[in-house]
Amino acid sequence: MTVFSLIIINKAGGLIYQREFQPGLRKLSTNDYLVLAGTFHGVHAITRTITPKLPLLTPTATASTPTSASSNLASPSGTSTPIPPTTTTTTTTTTSVAATTYTYPIPGVPATGLESLETDKFRLTCFQTLTGTKFLLFTDPHMANIEVVMKKIYEFYADFVMKNPFYQLEMPVRCEAFDRNMNGWLRGRT
Amino acid sequence: MSSTTKASRIGEELWKTRVDKVNAELVTLTYGTIVAQLCQDYDGNYQEVNKQLEKMGYNIGMRLIEDFLAKSNVGRCANFRETADMISKVGFRIFLNIAPTVTNWTSDNNQFSLVFDENPLADFVELPDDGRAQDELWFSNILCGVLRGALEMVQMQIEAHFVSDVLRGDDTTEMRVSLVRYIEDEMPPEEE
Amino acid sequence: MSYYFTILSPTDVPLFNIAFGTSKSGGDGIARFRFPDTAQYMNQFIIHSSLDMVEEAQWMNGNMYLKHIDTYPPASAYISAFLTPSGARFLLLHQPPHAAGPNANAGGSGGGGGGGIGGGSSILGGSFAAGSSAARASASSIAANPTSPQTEEAVRQFMAEVYENYVKTVMNPFYRQGMEIRSAVFRSRVTAAGRKWL
Repeated sequence: MTVFSLIIINKAGGLIYQREFQPGLRKLSTNDYLVLAGTFHGVHAITRTITPKLPLLTPTATASTPTSASSNLASPSGTSTPIPPTTTTTTTTTTSVAATTYTYPIPGVPATGLESLETDKFRLTCFQTLTGTKFLLFTDPHMANIEVVMKKIYEFYADFVMKNPFYQLEMPVRCEAFDRNMNGWLRGRT
Repeated sequence: MSSTTKASRIGEELWKTRVDKVNAELVTLTYGTIVAQLCQDYDGNYQEVNKQLEKMGYNIGMRLIEDFLAKSNVGRCANFRETADMISKVGFRIFLNIAPTVTNWTSDNNQFSLVFDENPLADFVELPDDGRAQDELWFSNILCGVLRGALEMVQMQIEAHFVSDVLRGDDTTEMRVSLVRYIEDEMPPEEE
Repeated sequence: MSYYFTILSPTDVPLFNIAFGTSKSGGDGIARFRFPDTAQYMNQFIIHSSLDMVEEAQWMNGNMYLKHIDTYPPASAYISAFLTPSGARFLLLHQPPHAAGPNANAGGSGGGGGGGIGGGSSILGGSFAAGSSAARASASSIAANPTSPQTEEAVRQFMAEVYENYVKTVMNPFYRQGMEIRSAVFRSRVTAAGRKWL
């Protein structure tokens, strides 16, 4: 159970947060982190665009009115979201969408791109929020339940970064409470 | 209405398990004081007060959406109708413990109304009796801004405004929400 | 029974006042004071003159409701007081209807205090017109016995209800402390409370 470090990339591809939790990875210079963030952002965007679009199924018999919207929350493209919604069906369920009655948000753009990248020594997991912010977590390749860690980090981010009235959106994160809470929580898990 | 009931369930669950509660009067008085102070600062220029409230809400919404997503764990909505249910049954539930009624859809499914049976922001409030506030001030206008800011962060440009308010003597409190477009690029929005 | 209710700020600024009559026992809710219409200031005069008594009484115990604290016999006016924790004073002047001479005494439902009051009324009764039918109808109600326990209780209920609405009114963000209460909603609620309890 090793979490090496965390990187947060804003929706424009800028590095807004970089922090090491446990030693293991070699350090990069600040500039290299910026390049890493920008490069990953680009690659991620490309992987999004090459995601095959699944053909939309014809409306089912029950979907006769536009109000009977599908209960499926998964992305239209059929790729699994990094954190599958716990309360809903997952992507294996057939999407019974009344495609003719409405348009999708951002028609044609798949919801997710590159989600994980793995080497012998570490795994990079990417979670992109619906607002476009990306969380990159470097962990041990054998670590399980990364999504739990990711979800918790997202909550810390929502609480201590976004709710800090003096944090300017899209700017580098310098929130001491965010660091402190995340450190404390991660330490409690190991 | 499967998405409606599902949204209700999610909202209830979150409200019970994940939301820190604060005293309602504290919220009401804090918000009321802000509005009253704005009215004083802008010398009774209620159009300007409405605008400022909307702007404050916009900045709140852009931040609050992350909390909403982190807590609720819901994915992208398949259509604007589902979005409306999410706003009413999950968003308003976890932040204000109310669930305004979604109604009055246009046939193109791009416009709906939220009808508020109760409004915690407006408890105790009686608008100033200067003869103009009743016609010009939208007391809860911050909510319009919150929706605009939050939805903009998830790539929806909307327009929201109140069309009636019980504070003004209307029968209902109703907000009209219209989808302008889905934002396709990912450029960061300008913070106002 | 006629009532005059006023709210004074801690610094004795009048914030609110209203005059109303009883709605019990067939009353029509309209105030009929014993002063000519040109002398309505007498209500204010009497009620404000009781402030000394209020200030004396308010430190005697911890109660918010001070009950009947002052009487102005010439007008047969009784003052009850209620204090909010912030120091605002609710004062209620109540004036029994023109008593029809000894009939008021014969009401009998009041104790010794009631009898004494009745005597006061009868003195006045000589100098004013004889009681109307409405006055007789209310002879057995709280109206005839301004200091009876029933009256004290009714006034207490009234004060409590007004207090509840007063709190809501001052919570209105557009209300500034010390400002006159002009809310029509509050006025109607006070009227309703009066109708309900008095």
